[in-house]
Amino acid sequence: MAILNITYQGQSADYELALDFAPSDADIQRIAVEVVRSGSIRGLHVPNLPQNAFQAFVIDRLTGPDGEQRIYLRPKVPFGA
Amino acid sequence: MRVVVCGIGALGSTAVQYCRNLDAALRLVDFDRVESKNLAAQWFVKQSVGKNKAEAARLQLANFYGGKAEAIGQRLGAHNAAQLLADCGLAVDCFDNADSRIALATAARVAGVPLIHGALAADGTFGLVRWDERFTVDREDAPGQPTCEGGEHLPLIGLCGATLARAIQDFVTAGARRDYMISLSGVVRTA
Repeated sequence: MAILNITYQGQSADYELALDFAPSDADIQRIAVEVVRSGSIRGLHVPNLPQNAFQAFVIDRLTGPDGEQRIYLRPKVPFGA
Repeated sequence: MRVVVCGIGALGSTAVQYCRNLDAALRLVDFDRVESKNLAAQWFVKQSVGKNKAEAARLQLANFYGGKAEAIGQRLGAHNAAQLLADCGLAVDCFDNADSRIALATAARVAGVPLIHGALAADGTFGLVRWDERFTVDREDAPGQPTCEGGEHLPLIGLCGATLARAIQDFVTAGARRDYMISLSGVVRTA
């Protein structure tokens, strides 16, 4: 079990990811598109989300404060100014 | 403790404003000058237009709040990074390009100076506050790519800057290293 956090157009939400394999970055991007299209992630429902919506996004794989695996799918953050 | 803030733009200037009563000496580093367009998204006033950003922030801290800071109007690079980090107990990365972020991170790791990054997405709707051990530098899509200049998402920039200042404060006062993710949905602690 891992928590997939998706940020899209400034909105961010968690989705419980129950997989019996270690997903690649491409898997994560594909799953995220399906999840957001279907509306099964609270607060993020875009029925016509393009298939390549997350192509330029970054995937961070971190361990959460309680030891859980957390996967963040997020826009690039190159800027401070 | 001395805290060096590198990049006094949208995030850096906002964070500096909220670090004004921090129990630390501030060193501000930026080679750039304040332009009129910066007033929409950065903590600068009309009277600062034309001034070096580090010096303008230093003057605003002094004139508005009686605060003190050291301003260095230089571009940080491999040639001077060690000098700019000298005597610092914390480095704060608010740069707007990958090359400067990498130069700062390399120098901070060599010098053993803790480093925290503040970073914004190009459309200004998302940001990260993350310690160096968990941060990877994202490259801009094109060199000099503009961002956040119109101030469309100014409240989020403010939130990112304030969150960064909070993380700095937590480190200075208690040694805590906390990460945060900032979106239009709110602020979430991630580590």
